[in-house]
Amino acid sequence: MTPAEPSPDLSVFLASSVHDMKNSIAILIGSMEKILAGSDPGRPEFGEMTHMMYETKRINGNLIQLLALYKLGNHLYPFSPEDWLLDDFVAETLSQHLPLLRFRGIAFEAAVEADLVWPFDGDLVGGILGHALNNTIHYTRSKVRLVVRESAEGLEIRVEDDGAGYPPKMLADGAAAMKGVDFQGGSTGLGLYFSAMAARLHRNKGRHGAIRLENGGAWGGGCFVLTLP
Amino acid sequence: MEFSNKTFLVIDDFQGMRTVLRDILRSMGVNPKLIATAANGNEAITLLAQTRFDGVLCDFNLGHGKNGQQILEEAKYRNLVGPSCAWVMITAEKTADVVMGAAEYQPDAYLLKPITESTLRLRLEKIWAKKSAFIDIDQAVMSHDLLQAIRLCDERLAVDKANAGELLRLKCHLLLVSGEHEQARALCQALLAKRDIPWAQLALARVHIAAGELEEARQMLENLVADNRSYLEAHDWLANVHNAQGDLHKAEEVLEMAARLSPHSVIRQKNLGEVSLQLGKVDKAERAFRKSVALGEHSILKTPDAYLGLARACSAQDNPKEALQVLGSLSKQFEGDDVKVKAMATEGMVHHRAGDTEAARRIAIQLGDTLGQHNGPQVESAAIVEMAELMMVTGEKERAAALLQSEVRNNPDDRILLERIQTVFDTGAMSEEGSALVEASRKEAVQLMNQGVLLARDEQYEEALAAMRDACERLPGNVRVLFNFAHLGMVVMRKTGVEPGLVEEIRQHLQTAHRIAPVEKRYAQLMSQLKALAG
Repeated sequence: MTPAEPSPDLSVFLASSVHDMKNSIAILIGSMEKILAGSDPGRPEFGEMTHMMYETKRINGNLIQLLALYKLGNHLYPFSPEDWLLDDFVAETLSQHLPLLRFRGIAFEAAVEADLVWPFDGDLVGGILGHALNNTIHYTRSKVRLVVRESAEGLEIRVEDDGAGYPPKMLADGAAAMKGVDFQGGSTGLGLYFSAMAARLHRNKGRHGAIRLENGGAWGGGCFVLTLP
Repeated sequence: MEFSNKTFLVIDDFQGMRTVLRDILRSMGVNPKLIATAANGNEAITLLAQTRFDGVLCDFNLGHGKNGQQILEEAKYRNLVGPSCAWVMITAEKTADVVMGAAEYQPDAYLLKPITESTLRLRLEKIWAKKSAFIDIDQAVMSHDLLQAIRLCDERLAVDKANAGELLRLKCHLLLVSGEHEQARALCQALLAKRDIPWAQLALARVHIAAGELEEARQMLENLVADNRSYLEAHDWLANVHNAQGDLHKAEEVLEMAARLSPHSVIRQKNLGEVSLQLGKVDKAERAFRKSVALGEHSILKTPDAYLGLARACSAQDNPKEALQVLGSLSKQFEGDDVKVKAMATEGMVHHRAGDTEAARRIAIQLGDTLGQHNGPQVESAAIVEMAELMMVTGEKERAAALLQSEVRNNPDDRILLERIQTVFDTGAMSEEGSALVEASRKEAVQLMNQGVLLARDEQYEEALAAMRDACERLPGNVRVLFNFAHLGMVVMRKTGVEPGLVEEIRQHLQTAHRIAPVEKRYAQLMSQLKALAG
């Protein structure tokens, strides 16, 4: 009998290559920002560049989510809730997304309850919000709004648009989509799965965070809702 | 916010990333002449020693040599960065080492790659705004006036809602380190009634530990680490509790988990080695100590205890040659008389175990002479007891007895220590004699301690002060005596006026006491009073 081929521990490669890829992406994004800052928004290259930036950030977002999920699964993720002034947090998160919204001509408004402070893991919630905003940029018709307020369930963050809303199947599958990958459906489900996992990590007094999808909101479009206890 | 006059240091091993970060800073308005760059830890430390930077952008992963966290630790430890410096750690992924490490060595923020101008700008503004809000409190802490720092936290809490969480956390920390455990308990309980806050749960567990309520502490900490599996500090305290409860197996388990979460921690590997060694798992202990020594190569937090542990582990595996080599490299790496005597004690034990009685005895004698000197090295009780043990097993019983007696005089109320001392006398077949000596030393200490107190009660202050000064001389490691002297000295000065010489004497005694017993309520109180009296 020949000895079995040693099977490589893929997780080690995953972690180290994500490191490496993120260095490359950091340099890409840095160069693109520099070019964008020096170029004329009226020229067609500006549009292509903005789109490239969007795609690069999507890759980056996916890498972060993959790595976080890997670490969560192995109980290695350093979950670190901190007090955030929601005004600050929203400003920081939006600074990543506003350029693309502006370029696509999507109107944006944010309604953040003043002086609201809430404890959460800023990286995870930033990732959830990034996923929701990226999605809505695809499906909205003309505008997007972000609502942050205190509700009976705790902190509520809503991303609403004026698009056609989520298809009925997706609303019905909502819970299932958050549990795993649906290769047939064409979506990897990574974003939703990550969001659901990351929300659940936030706990307080026996309750935990959650996400849900709705149609309606202020403009009757799709709503992505995150609640944190 | 104005960035043009701020000085920055950028630390990254990739030329490409250094350029990106420099460009970002420039586009924020930073003067390019005020941006320094470093490609590795040594370059960074050299630059940090030359310039007080306003901001540092530091990549965590720097290839060979020091990592970003180790640079930060060294910069803070050596005071190369002031409290107003904003240290931003840049990482590709979130790691427990950076985010969940010891509070005093945490960066002001860590940012995940890629960094964009807007995130960096917002974060730096936030850090500097917060630093200016905490500046008075920081200053009070730095001048050791913890009670004043606590008062300032309260003042700030009344007006600053955005920083309330951070202020409460800091206040709670200050209450714990100044020994105000009951106030800390009340604060945590009030907070926890409203919300599960991990740091408040940990603080409450520490209050339980301080009050000797180990079972409550264990339960709290077990729940805490189950809910927050990456909370390193909670793991450390849980291991301490298991240790105190004598459950070394559980302590080892917890430390292994913590070491897995923070593979770069010099201290955790060392702690793991110590528990494994106590459990007799010698090769496991050896691995952990070796790891701690290797990690310490680039770290300011490297510890002589890892070398001592490694020497013991080698000795226990009948490898005295390597044990002695390890001790040799220990004495090259570390200075300080305390390290020297501990290395000697371990060396003696290595010889003893290897059957070289003559060498062991020679070292025991030398050790006794060094420790007996006036102003000799100050070593913690556990190490002293081990040294006495070496003297005992090598036949130097008189030296052993003298050393143990002085340890009793310094700690006449520490029951656990007295029991441990008794077992050393038992090892030397001196049970009865030893027990009489312990009792005599204890009485002597109590009498010395009372003398001054009684004179002070009769308002014979001059005589009381003289008696207490004498007691400090004869019981140099007795914390209660040192505190009593400080208290009385200040009573006298309040009546007769401030005397700089006495102020200095008190300050030194308080510092000694603080070194021996870091968490003592009276230290914070007396330090605060001294500050009020003499500035």
